[in-house]
Amino acid sequence: MADWYTNFANSGFGTTITKQLGLPRPAVLRRYEPGQPLLPGPVVIGSAGQGRLRDTVSAVLKDAGVTVLSPVTADGSTDGEKLGAVVLDATGLSSPGDLASAHDFLAPAIKRLRPSGRVLILADPPQAADSPAQAAARQAIDGLVRSIGKELLNGSTANAVYVPEGAEASVASPLKFFLSGRSAYVDGQLLTLSPADVPTGEDAEKPLAGKVAVVTGAARGIGAAIAQVMARDGAHVVAVDIPAAGDSLAKVANEIGGTALQLDITASDAPQRLVEHLRERHHAGVGPGVDIVVHNAGITRDKLLVNMDAARWNSVMAVNLQAQLDITQALLDDGDVLNDGARIVCVSSQSGIAGNRGQTNYAASKAGVIGMVRAWAPQFAERNATINAVAPGFIITEMTAKMPLGTREVGSRINSLQQGGLPVDVAETIAWLSQPGSAGVNGQTVRVCGQSMLGA
Amino acid sequence: MASNSKPATRKAAIVGGNRIPFARSNSTYGQASNQDMLTATIDGLVARFGLQGEQVGEVVAGAVLKHARDFNLTRESVLGSRLDASTPAYDVQQACGTGLEAAILVANKIALGQIESGIAGGVDTTSDAPLAVGDDLRRILISLNSAKTLQDRLKAIARIRPGMIAPEIPRNAEPRTGLAMGEHAQLTAHEWEIGREEQDELTVRSHQNMAAAYERGFFDDLVTPFLGLTRDQNLRPDSSLEKLAKLKPVFGRALPDGAEGTMTAGNSTPLTDGASAVLLASDEWAAEQGLPVLAHLVDAQTAAVDYVHGGEGLLMAPVYAVPKMLARNGLTLQDFDFYEIHEAFASTVLATMKAWEDPAYCKEKLGLDAPLGSIDRSKLNVYGSSLAAGHPFAATGGRIVASLAKTLHQAGPGKRGLISICAAGGQGVVAILES
Amino acid sequence: MGTTVLDAPPNMAALFARAALTARGRGGDLPDTRLARTGVTVEPGSLADYARVCRFPLSDTLPATYPHMLTFPLQMALMSDRAFPLALPGLVHVRNRIDAVRPIGSGETLDLEVWAERFASHRSGATVDLCASVSAGGAEVWRSRSTYLARGAKAPAGAPDSDVTVDVGDLGHPVATWRIPDDAGRRYAKVSGDVNPIHLSGLTAKAFGFKRAIAHGMWVKARVLAAVENRLPEAFTVDVGFRKPLFLPSTVTLATAATGGGWDAAVRNAKSGTEHLLATVRPL
Repeated sequence: MADWYTNFANSGFGTTITKQLGLPRPAVLRRYEPGQPLLPGPVVIGSAGQGRLRDTVSAVLKDAGVTVLSPVTADGSTDGEKLGAVVLDATGLSSPGDLASAHDFLAPAIKRLRPSGRVLILADPPQAADSPAQAAARQAIDGLVRSIGKELLNGSTANAVYVPEGAEASVASPLKFFLSGRSAYVDGQLLTLSPADVPTGEDAEKPLAGKVAVVTGAARGIGAAIAQVMARDGAHVVAVDIPAAGDSLAKVANEIGGTALQLDITASDAPQRLVEHLRERHHAGVGPGVDIVVHNAGITRDKLLVNMDAARWNSVMAVNLQAQLDITQALLDDGDVLNDGARIVCVSSQSGIAGNRGQTNYAASKAGVIGMVRAWAPQFAERNATINAVAPGFIITEMTAKMPLGTREVGSRINSLQQGGLPVDVAETIAWLSQPGSAGVNGQTVRVCGQSMLGA
Repeated sequence: MASNSKPATRKAAIVGGNRIPFARSNSTYGQASNQDMLTATIDGLVARFGLQGEQVGEVVAGAVLKHARDFNLTRESVLGSRLDASTPAYDVQQACGTGLEAAILVANKIALGQIESGIAGGVDTTSDAPLAVGDDLRRILISLNSAKTLQDRLKAIARIRPGMIAPEIPRNAEPRTGLAMGEHAQLTAHEWEIGREEQDELTVRSHQNMAAAYERGFFDDLVTPFLGLTRDQNLRPDSSLEKLAKLKPVFGRALPDGAEGTMTAGNSTPLTDGASAVLLASDEWAAEQGLPVLAHLVDAQTAAVDYVHGGEGLLMAPVYAVPKMLARNGLTLQDFDFYEIHEAFASTVLATMKAWEDPAYCKEKLGLDAPLGSIDRSKLNVYGSSLAAGHPFAATGGRIVASLAKTLHQAGPGKRGLISICAAGGQGVVAILES
Repeated sequence: MGTTVLDAPPNMAALFARAALTARGRGGDLPDTRLARTGVTVEPGSLADYARVCRFPLSDTLPATYPHMLTFPLQMALMSDRAFPLALPGLVHVRNRIDAVRPIGSGETLDLEVWAERFASHRSGATVDLCASVSAGGAEVWRSRSTYLARGAKAPAGAPDSDVTVDVGDLGHPVATWRIPDDAGRRYAKVSGDVNPIHLSGLTAKAFGFKRAIAHGMWVKARVLAAVENRLPEAFTVDVGFRKPLFLPSTVTLATAATGGGWDAAVRNAKSGTEHLLATVRPL
């Protein structure tokens, strides 16, 4: 797609050149397309510790049409078929010693992983451990999974999901996400689930069927991709952007059969106008109501802090953080618009985690988003709703295309997948968090960064 | 409705509208055709109301300046839009009244139950205007085209003279009087003693009202940017009496001896390119689609005056249309919360109001016992009008209908608005909207 | 009195040439000759050309000024004849009155007759009326009287005084502005056959003492009539006085007033207000 180097390195000639020069050879990532099987090959499920999730995982995957193989033995002598994914149920670890069996299972299995393969480790959250030994064992998973992520080749990823007691029903959605092509650029992440009332019977092809989704900043770039993925997954999208971007916005809305709403979200009456619009068009009492809100609109006004004027600071804060707070609050305050079980997804940024030179304002606003979703999560949980953040890393957009070549190339290579992500990668993650089945993911910040070295 | 036959008439709802920002002639939209602009405008409306792939009852639109190739302009625009290609369409043309007349036509079909929804629109470009070859050359070309033999063809070609090559540019002039519309308006302004300063004041207010409306986001859901233009190009938020006072009168040519013109490029609308569209529907259709009803089109009226030999001003027809419509609806001129008097020229608005206030005129010309009286100026053209936005002839009606419907909706239920649009040929189209 | 019946319309250019060559040494009283043609029909193409140049709508009745197209060549023949007392070059058309007795269908077969009468004294010379009568099926349907002024000429002793005045009432401000291009004379000459050099170009007009080419009076009259064409009585008299020459090109205005079931009208220069034509239209 937009990454010329990945394309080049994967061409016949480019492969020869990059090999000889010892240059990185980024893989072409397996990305989701409608109708695609969850995995291109079988999955093998192993366990370390008590393993309370093994049966659940097996059932979910079988149900999704995946062939589930028995664990590979230590000498790696089961059948020679290449694996689509390796899942380790590491729940029930009681001490670091239990981790030896994790090693025994993973080493031979990972050897047989296909390109764009998946390693997923399910574990108990270390915070809830009974003893220091148990906490140590649980926390060890963190280092393990991050390191596997860095060792994997050919576009494969490694992620971990912490599953507290009682949150077993929440596993299915993240499990499927992390194994699928939807998570192509999500690597080295540790997600903590919470217990939730998880609806079932979702249409795998149209998980958002019948949902109404509001996406801000939808006229171009990542926002347009979010709108497109949401619509592909069945949602009716209310595409929002500033009036000046109205023509691009209309095009996006028309392509996906959604509606365009021109609104400057930083206007003082914007939350009220948005709510009124949604009330008029999507009143929960008469129509479907609003199920998903994606706070994607964001701006950058870069300058070193010492040179930054108030206008730069204020405008970035207003768009990137204050508008998200105000609009979310207005939606909560209005009893009619937001459906129970709503999903709010806020776009944060790698800069908000790692910081970035010249982006004090931007990074502050994006870090603020992470704090905001964490704080709001319990309140959302009460109405069976969730609020999460997604922090994109280096995503190839019109904006990055304008960066100097050197900065751009370095930015796009310093991650485990050795390439920049695409807007659709962010969109897939957001669409997943918006699924009804993702009820157990709340207050989390999911990085879409290919396991960037920044801030990790 | 007790009967199961034809439904009784109902009032058509105005659901919303869309337009592209209006551009000054030969500027941003210089390369855009009427079809380009109308298609983009319909697509913006489609995006706003989620009508992709929908079949609406009918699309009715028109242009005043039209190329021969645009004989089916509206239908072609529909085919190029995101609407269902099986949506019927037809063209109308009533000069500057085209846009409002199109809305009336759609509303009437909805009222009669013939359609459930429809789009009314209008578009005009003076940049991509249809140039015609002169009459002589045209006749020769026609005979050349029908010539059967080489000899006949050569004969036809031999009749062409260099002087014939100059194209005929469509002029904004009345064919029967040879006077530009502005010259007609200046005659009327002179007759009604409309002063320069009051025209300039009205102009400043139009610009200020429109600039303020943009600032408060009023046009956010009425306008979709096009070709990089996000606001009406003619809008001058810093317009002032001092600046307008410096402009020279331009339409004084036809005035009687010694009289000086009062109309300038500032207090007259410039040539403009643009398009607008309005979505109308039955209340039921709107509810099914989950779309709002901003207002209803309650009634409409047209009138025309004999400006050639009858001694009436070219743009005075709305003055005649309004009292007829008021009488039919049992209303007085003061029974409105908002007035939209199209600012073809500042003087037109002022002469219109002055005529309604004039007892002798109302009695003699309009046949009324008492004058219609004056209107509260604070309710007039509250978000600016054509002086600020510009006036792409056929697009003005749609601009006004959508903006007024939104204003009425915002003001609450039961509010009433009057639209008055003058048109070339001594015509006027007026309508009542009610929230 | 003798009537000569012609088989075909005379060649106008030849008549102009003959008139110019034989201009000198004319005098005496008016001849009582009458010229006539019978069984004349209107050629549809010529009618269409005429209607377009004069801005009449094309219809199946003739514009009231159209029969003049048929009778004028005969009048020319009369005036260019040696027996005519006044020299054609230098004759100025000062008044034209047409009685449209009834509408004439474009397909009707017409009989034409022209003659000269009323040699009269004018303060700056003498005038003569060229008359025409058009009939169909034996009944007169149209007649006209064109008054020409010969400056410096003398009417015979005992001649009556000329009557060249057409008066109009108050007309108010103009109802139309016409931009008249410099080829207006050539265009009308083409459809009317009136190839008088004073109308054709600046150069030829100068040869006859005019600073620029001037518009045909009958064309201006036709345009005035065309402007009120749909508001004319069934039968009417349209009488115009030609005032100052209308030089080409010009911008002129038309002012009209409805009067006595007909119209008063004036064509004036848009800038100077110079009167070119005053017209009255009255029911017959």
